[in-house]
Amino acid sequence: MLKRKMFRDIRNNLSQFITIFLMVMIGIMAYSGIKAYMGGMAKTADKFYSENNLFDLNVMGLLNHDDLKSIKKMDNVNDAELKLSVSATTDNEKILLLNFIESNNISKFYVIDGEGFDFNKSGIWLDNFYCEKNNINVGDTVLVKYDGMELHEEVLGRINVPDHLYDVSDSSELYPDREKFGFAYMSTNEITEDYIKSLVMRESNIKDEKVFDMAMPDFDYKKYIPFSSIMVDVKDNNYRDNVKNNIEDNVKNAKAIINVEDMSSYAAYQGEIDEGKTYVGVFSGIFLFIAMLSVITTMTRVVKNQRTQIGTLKALGFSNNRILFHYIGYGFWISVFACVVGLLLGYYGIGNIFIGTEMVFFEIPNGAPFMDISSYYVSLIVVFIVGVITYITGRSILRENPAETLRNKIPSVKGRTLNITKKGFFKKLSFESIWNVRDILRNKMRTIMGVAGILGCCMLIVCALGMLDSMNFFVKLQFEDLYNFDYKLSIKENLSDKELQVLYDKYGSYSSESIGIEIKDSDGKRESNNIFVTDASDYVRFVDNKNRIKEKPNDNGVYVTYKLASNKGYKIGDKIEWHIYGDNKYYTSEIIGFNKDPQNQNVSMTREYLESLGIDYKPDSIYTNMDLSSVKEINNVVAIQNIDNLKEGMNGMLSMMKTMLVLIIGIAVLLGAIIIYNLGILSYSEKQYQFATLKVLGFEDKKIRKIFIKQNNWISVISIIFGLPLGFYLTDWLFKTAIEEHYDFGAFITLRTYIIASIGTFAVSYLVSKFLARKVKKIDMVSSLKGNE
Amino acid sequence: MEKSFIELKNVKKIYEVGGQKYNALDGIDLSINQGEFVVILGPSGAGKSTLLNLLGGMDKATSGNIFIGDNDISKYNDKELTRYRANEVGFIFQFYNIMPTLTVDENVNLIKDVTNTSKNSSEVLKSVGLLKHAGKFPQELSGGEQQRVSIARAIMKNPKVLLCDEPTGALDSKTGVEVLKLLRKQSDYDTTVIIVTHNALIADIADRVINIKNGKVESNILNNHPKNIDEVKW
Repeated sequence: MLKRKMFRDIRNNLSQFITIFLMVMIGIMAYSGIKAYMGGMAKTADKFYSENNLFDLNVMGLLNHDDLKSIKKMDNVNDAELKLSVSATTDNEKILLLNFIESNNISKFYVIDGEGFDFNKSGIWLDNFYCEKNNINVGDTVLVKYDGMELHEEVLGRINVPDHLYDVSDSSELYPDREKFGFAYMSTNEITEDYIKSLVMRESNIKDEKVFDMAMPDFDYKKYIPFSSIMVDVKDNNYRDNVKNNIEDNVKNAKAIINVEDMSSYAAYQGEIDEGKTYVGVFSGIFLFIAMLSVITTMTRVVKNQRTQIGTLKALGFSNNRILFHYIGYGFWISVFACVVGLLLGYYGIGNIFIGTEMVFFEIPNGAPFMDISSYYVSLIVVFIVGVITYITGRSILRENPAETLRNKIPSVKGRTLNITKKGFFKKLSFESIWNVRDILRNKMRTIMGVAGILGCCMLIVCALGMLDSMNFFVKLQFEDLYNFDYKLSIKENLSDKELQVLYDKYGSYSSESIGIEIKDSDGKRESNNIFVTDASDYVRFVDNKNRIKEKPNDNGVYVTYKLASNKGYKIGDKIEWHIYGDNKYYTSEIIGFNKDPQNQNVSMTREYLESLGIDYKPDSIYTNMDLSSVKEINNVVAIQNIDNLKEGMNGMLSMMKTMLVLIIGIAVLLGAIIIYNLGILSYSEKQYQFATLKVLGFEDKKIRKIFIKQNNWISVISIIFGLPLGFYLTDWLFKTAIEEHYDFGAFITLRTYIIASIGTFAVSYLVSKFLARKVKKIDMVSSLKGNE
Repeated sequence: MEKSFIELKNVKKIYEVGGQKYNALDGIDLSINQGEFVVILGPSGAGKSTLLNLLGGMDKATSGNIFIGDNDISKYNDKELTRYRANEVGFIFQFYNIMPTLTVDENVNLIKDVTNTSKNSSEVLKSVGLLKHAGKFPQELSGGEQQRVSIARAIMKNPKVLLCDEPTGALDSKTGVEVLKLLRKQSDYDTTVIIVTHNALIADIADRVINIKNGKVESNILNNHPKNIDEVKW
């Protein structure tokens, strides 16, 4: 019979139970959804990396078959493959990272369309995203130009490759432009003898081909292919460092040996997962917390409404346990059902949607969400908490004797707590203010829950909008303050002085060079980094920690970024020891200043300082403010990048972020509104008899509504006052903790965001209060006062 | 014939419960003079409280007229009824209905928020013997003292009518007598005091005793020789 009562009670209080259902469902959906998304990211990558055998080490340098043989023979090496990577362009001046390989057992292709790698096949395997964006299909012919050569290649396959999940043409780009940049693979068989011969002739400074043929009658061009890397598959990763040391010691041509974790594609993807892990903790944690708050308030409300019925059951002789289990059942079944729906929606909804968004950004096949076991545990905990709340609320009612329980509860007043409000400043307050102060004091728990709920809502809005502000600020800092040029020309390596001068004469001589280095710390531990050498005058600027543009750097030492300095404990005046990759000579430089770089944590110096160390300056970029909008190609320039295009690239990333932020704000507002509504109802029902009395005394409805709304407004204002700074700290913390190591972001939140968050939170709270206050008009004085008796 | 201060003409109050109509008041005709101390008696469900609620503007009659002075309050809209309750009627309930979070003094001064014709709160508190408890919260007072707060609040606005629903119902006899004395004193100041009660003994001290049964006035008797409260054996 009690079961029947339960179902009918649920039916009669449908809106309250729907609230509990929605809250638990939203909380679990948010948690399990984000978990499924992040878990899916990790699992998808793990599967792709292992099934397609992503390399463990990438050896860089000018390498050959002898080097390959020697690496293959080393202990703990499973396999190794040579690769020649060059920057190529297509007929419409798009850039391809073109790789020539001999075999494809490491970093294997995942073929979307067409066929797999075949050494003997003539043609090209193209980046699937690039094909999609440029409408290229298998069987089409594409023109590939590099180093003065023009090849017409048939597309043999559209592929994904595990070390090309994230590719940008230049490190100053954050968002990959799949239409203008892609990767491609060809067999080394496609490299012509003439090309290699010309390279060797250039290298040997031989101008006449006949002389060359005479000098090298048995020239086997395949032996002279200038491979740029060897991918190494290590047997046991625990001993990877041994292999690394072995290569370093025995392969002279190896200029740098990079762990797969340090490769940009792997690091970008992993960074996204690490970032997500923090989001999982923070956002889903806050969602769950607010959701649980609203469940607590609703469940308390439900059980308190059943007070007289509990008394009746008790009077009829039902045992306390039986009554308790009966009421625990209310929350139990609803929350179990809500958890199941939340888990399903989290997995199939949020998980799928977010994975889908990521799979547009990262080129990885078979992206799917993954249901994390913790989602089940959290669901169980939620069900348990709902049960405990019901138990605690029910038990407090059951402790009273049945006669007491059968009467409506009038909250008790502890004179001692309220005594403070009889003195000083409080004496000057109006009736409604003092009444509200005391009501808050005697309902501390309800007030605290209200503050926590609205505060959480406000904090999430600040954080969501603040993240967007901070990203916009970053774009401005990077592309307006630090980059003070219109075009960046990435120039070819090893240009002669004459060729360089031609470019300088035409586009100006503001240039820079990035040099890969290793920094040795006092313990002898080496870490890779890079030096940015500037000869760009005001075209590339430096900012201090407060984002103020700094004077021109000095020529007597190096500058390090604040974050790098903080991580390594560098101080001004400290010395760092470093060497350029491929050159074992160490230099010691004094740190003469710090600079802030939101994108890279590195070392900077002037051209003058570099040359004072005896190192040749070989620029790789030229900056200009000339209008190059109609220029498609420049001799000896690999890429022409417009600052506006770089900025635009960011918009893609920001629009993805906006979708997520809208979701966060939407859920925050919904949860906030439900908490305010629940607490409002609880508060209203406790005060109803007092409002009825005020009505009898002749108070106008308007005035009573004002009293009611006033308290909620106070709670909202207090919550907003605390919510705004907490929102800032949350955003700042998220940026500093979640973001990848090489970024240096902080929260930069505009006044507009604070105003929107304040008004938004207040408006939600005010509207809900206003909605609830309509009940005052409907108070039946007679029955309210009778009910009290 | 001189018009009475309170006049009810064929007043009906019909409730609809589960589709069934229920006549709480079934054509009440009644006259009460100003300054009278009136006791309304009747069994449970007779319609006593309904009548009191209609007189107090807490509920609206289904039909009929309720004149308080020259005004027919049965024609009042919600706003006019609010003004009527604020300025002309004082209520005293069995369970006091005082604000638990306001001190005695604040509860009484609450009236200043709704009417301009209020008395001096210290004098009112003194008249009910609560001046020394002015700073206390209701929880710190006894039942009788709380009822006296309720009386003080009611008389603070200097009402023309004082409506009391079982004012001694929750009190012991000694405290009850003190409360009745206070109420009786109000009628001496020309305030019409109407008490609804089950306690027939109170009838002995009333100027007028009205018996209600099944929503109708069974008797309306003027008591020409009301007893002194101390003469009544409780």
